[in-house]
Amino acid sequence: MSLAIVDAREWQNLLDLRTGKKVKDDDPRVQAPQTATLRDVLRRHPYPGDSDPRSNRWVTDSALDLVAAYEPQLACVVYGHQYFAGRYTPMTDVQRKGMMEELFAEIDRFVARSGYEPVVVGTGDMVPLEGEIDLGKLEGLAISSHWSARYAGLHRATPRDLDHVRSLAKVERVVGRDEWLAAFPDAEAVPARVPEHLLLAEEGWTFVTTGTPMRRPVRVPGRGFRIPLSTRLGAAPSLLDIRGLVLSGAAAGKKVALIVAEGVGMNDFLLPFTPCANQTGWHYYEPGDGFYLTLSTGRHQVFAYPSGYNYLDETDEKKDLPFSGYFLDFPAHALGDDFPGKSVAAGNHSMFVHMVFGADVCMECFARNLYNQGGFGVIHRFR
Amino acid sequence: MECTYCEWRCKLGEESFGVCRMYHAVGGKVVERFPDRWSYTSSRMEALPFYHAWPGARTLTIGTRGCNFNCRYCSNAYVALADPAAGADDGTHIHAMTPEELVAMALKLDCRNIVFNVNEPTVSIPGLLRLREEATRAGLPMGCLTNAYGTEESTEALAGIFDFLNVGLKGFTSSFYGEYIGVRDVGPILRNLRTLARRRHVEVTTPVIQGVNDGDLDDMADYLAGIDPEIPWHVFRLLPEYEMKDHAYPSIDAISRKLEAARKKLRYVYFHNFVGSEWVNTVCPECGMEVVERLSLGCGGDKLEGFHCTGNRCPRCGRAIRMCGEYAPTADRATAACAAESEATA
Repeated sequence: MSLAIVDAREWQNLLDLRTGKKVKDDDPRVQAPQTATLRDVLRRHPYPGDSDPRSNRWVTDSALDLVAAYEPQLACVVYGHQYFAGRYTPMTDVQRKGMMEELFAEIDRFVARSGYEPVVVGTGDMVPLEGEIDLGKLEGLAISSHWSARYAGLHRATPRDLDHVRSLAKVERVVGRDEWLAAFPDAEAVPARVPEHLLLAEEGWTFVTTGTPMRRPVRVPGRGFRIPLSTRLGAAPSLLDIRGLVLSGAAAGKKVALIVAEGVGMNDFLLPFTPCANQTGWHYYEPGDGFYLTLSTGRHQVFAYPSGYNYLDETDEKKDLPFSGYFLDFPAHALGDDFPGKSVAAGNHSMFVHMVFGADVCMECFARNLYNQGGFGVIHRFR
Repeated sequence: MECTYCEWRCKLGEESFGVCRMYHAVGGKVVERFPDRWSYTSSRMEALPFYHAWPGARTLTIGTRGCNFNCRYCSNAYVALADPAAGADDGTHIHAMTPEELVAMALKLDCRNIVFNVNEPTVSIPGLLRLREEATRAGLPMGCLTNAYGTEESTEALAGIFDFLNVGLKGFTSSFYGEYIGVRDVGPILRNLRTLARRRHVEVTTPVIQGVNDGDLDDMADYLAGIDPEIPWHVFRLLPEYEMKDHAYPSIDAISRKLEAARKKLRYVYFHNFVGSEWVNTVCPECGMEVVERLSLGCGGDKLEGFHCTGNRCPRCGRAIRMCGEYAPTADRATAACAAESEATA
């Protein structure tokens, strides 16, 4: 049973990750040496905040600390500052370039100090916001979930709604549920969770729907049909194949680091790279749960929490994993689950790190809508 | 002419807008500069926070722009303190929506009520009066978060519009309000708090800045207890934002210790605004049973975990638990749909 450690700065609480209930002091998980170690690491690294320029340095420092403490064979490391800051903070080209240079300096620092064999993948370029498509006045319900830019789901749409959205110049395409399901025949799906229609915005455009964050972005994810991948472990033609590279590298006796650079595509990637397909027909993964779960499991996860699904109907009481956002359960076949050796994960994308990689020991920030609540640690396996 | 919506009592003209920048004087009347422009989303009552009103209900949360305070730690400064004249160019989302459209949105989202929670409602009273009419027709109660710096007249208006209110009691001295909030006198706030508590369901929220206003917690508790010891009091650990971004986070243990005395004076004292708080459950003042369980995810993420009252009474001893509205969570339709589909395909 997974243990969660909340670190709200100078105050920690130990909880059962699945139930969210406080764990008693005599629980063996509390007494485990791994718990004491992770609590110390969390204490040593108070999170500076998503938009703070020190945020990526926090990732490197935390990841190095975890690696030193646990000596894992696999480290998953997520750098997200440039995605959050780039999305909401107006920047000059010089400032953006500087931010990217700092990011890659942090990646270099982690790789150099840890000595791990890096597999570095970017989630795709960000492009300036051209405009927004407001769907608030439809008769049905439109939802653009989880900061998605390109996708919005339509629920209970009327014929008038469909005529309207098809007339919108910046809506690139309207995809029916059946067409979407057919595009990913091997992906597991609960069809009831898949929106009846999926709307695709043109590049640079994004939807405004119920649940859209109040802050207006200045940049949004661009067309991410191909993403940059940097590794010496071999070729990965698509996002699905990266997991295999990591596992084969580890099987060859290497210590491997899977490093994700969010909001970084081929235009900003500062390491030698090869393009990697992130495309199935009209679909590509934005930097969100679908991307991470596919990367981690090596299987398409487009329907696990489908773009535009009606998450509002799944936010009521008595939900398992209350500290894990909209995740309803642990993903099957996460990289850490299937990895035979010890693993850690660290990153500054709240909630994703401990859920998507399934590493033995995870450390991340706890932030919501850019508000900094502190740090969060999870131990999935005590070994 | 003088604006009588809040105690700033600003002098307004057609092109002079006062502190909140939301009103001006036209044809001898104070009118809204930007009527029917709203932000909206949906949330849970516990997240706002309301712990004793419509527990577990989904609510349509709305806001406008502008504020008559300038809190140095404002967590919504990018909205509340943005220039309302900037419209969509202020970096946030604002929509032209009639009261009818807002109410229709609330109903479409299965919301049980509407809560104004983004900025200060006093800066948008005419629009809220129009919305109230429409909400009443639809049977939707309304609530708000307010700093209670309105005039007596507009406080009466708030009490007419809103069925439940969460009043921000940010400090207890005029010197605190002068230095950290930007207004001269705490007096009107204490006056209005008393008025509102007499008229409507009121909860109170106090952000604590360690070393600044934590020494006033006892006095605040005494004051609230003097009005009504059943008033729920939310003590917030300050999340340093805006001009206080570099201020230290208050010590949770130290503040919790300071609240021990308050817990003897008030029946419902909560300490939260940080993830994993242990002080968010409602305990029956009579028998000590945990009658409402909640989970704290920090900064507007609290949620209901379990409601054990029977008809708003403790199921063990029968004592009435202060509650406005009934326990009425929005049905988990998607989960039900998934379950039905699984059954059908099994």
